[in-house]
Amino acid sequence: MSRTFTHLNARGEAHMVDVGDKPVSHREALASARVRMAAETLVRLVEGGLPKGDVLATARIAGIQAAKRTAELIPLCHTLPLSSVRIDFDIDPALPGVLVEARCRVEGRTGVEMEALTAASVACLTLYDMCKAVDKGMVVEALQLERKTGGKSGDWQRMQASDASPGQAAESTAAAELGDEEGDAVAPQAASVRVRFFAELRERLQCDSVSVPMTDMDTTTIFALKQALIARDPRFAALDEPRVLCALNRRMSKLDASLSPGDEIAFFPPVTGG
Amino acid sequence: MKTIAIQTEGFDLGAVESSLIQGRSDLGAMVSFVGRVRDFSDRPGVRALTLEHYPGMTEAVLDALADEAVARWRLGGVAIIHRVGRLSPGDEIVLVAVACAHRKAAFEACEFIIDRLKTQAPFWKKEHSDEGDRWVGERMSDRWASERWEES
Repeated sequence: MSRTFTHLNARGEAHMVDVGDKPVSHREALASARVRMAAETLVRLVEGGLPKGDVLATARIAGIQAAKRTAELIPLCHTLPLSSVRIDFDIDPALPGVLVEARCRVEGRTGVEMEALTAASVACLTLYDMCKAVDKGMVVEALQLERKTGGKSGDWQRMQASDASPGQAAESTAAAELGDEEGDAVAPQAASVRVRFFAELRERLQCDSVSVPMTDMDTTTIFALKQALIARDPRFAALDEPRVLCALNRRMSKLDASLSPGDEIAFFPPVTGG
Repeated sequence: MKTIAIQTEGFDLGAVESSLIQGRSDLGAMVSFVGRVRDFSDRPGVRALTLEHYPGMTEAVLDALADEAVARWRLGGVAIIHRVGRLSPGDEIVLVAVACAHRKAAFEACEFIIDRLKTQAPFWKKEHSDEGDRWVGERMSDRWASERWEES
């Protein structure tokens, strides 16, 4: 409805979006990923005992080079005059492994998310290449956009699980990701309700719909559903604002309405049609 | 004759009106209202609007609204067509047309439907102007206009 695949034309064929008429604006994107490895590998990486030499310095250069070459790798991606690329590493003995962050900036007509994601991913691959002689079981994982600023679609930031401990933070991000049903940790067979968000509320929450298990609610009411959502992520406190309306199975509803598994609940701002 | 439609394309007022009447000669009055996109609202320079709705609920709300008007004013025909998607200033957004025996009932029924539509049907407008995008807020005057139709 409101979100479409801009890389498909009216016939559903791939095409490069014409950005010639979009205004130039300041854009930034931050992406992250990580490489999980054996604890001994991490120790050798930190102490410089690996056969190919300085792992992090090489991976950093690889990330920067990759950001500049994104348009050659991703078919419908524009060539961008990047004004800055920064790659940061964090050694995480608890993982154990290396956390990679890639930041890209541009004054341009299109965003730098793909550049940041490509930079993070190639930095990880280079880490793998530099260490594979001693550890072939390493895993590159959790490649994701953390935030972006600028451009027509506005700012975006990944929501974090509010109650996750640091060691679990990255793991639970997928479950706490509000964006889509697929990312939801709820098993499909679990008794749950579907919650949808519209218009300004949807944009503010960065979320179209989410599934909530009945077991997350203290009582089977819309009021309890709101409390369960707020417990899941503090951003859902927006649902408590005075003029947020609510529908149950596509009819306007009050907060004390009783819920059953499979119900569809929608929250939205006052309507402005006509 | 009842017509409810949510569509991206425009509509033909003349065609809707004749489908409403369907050759009947007992319908002495027909009133239609067409809402159009203005180039100003709370601020000037509106270049376009994007209309979003809640598929499924929108149709149900408009259908119930049409039934209520038919029963209350004994309408012989009613049509509610609302456009969604991106629209430019001057474009038609909404059409409400009613037909019945006498003019007073026709005027009232038409006004009732558009007043209620504006506060009950799940549509939302986003304005695009030189200053950026902005979701249109509700107007108190629309709420009052809708509330005055409450039957005591």
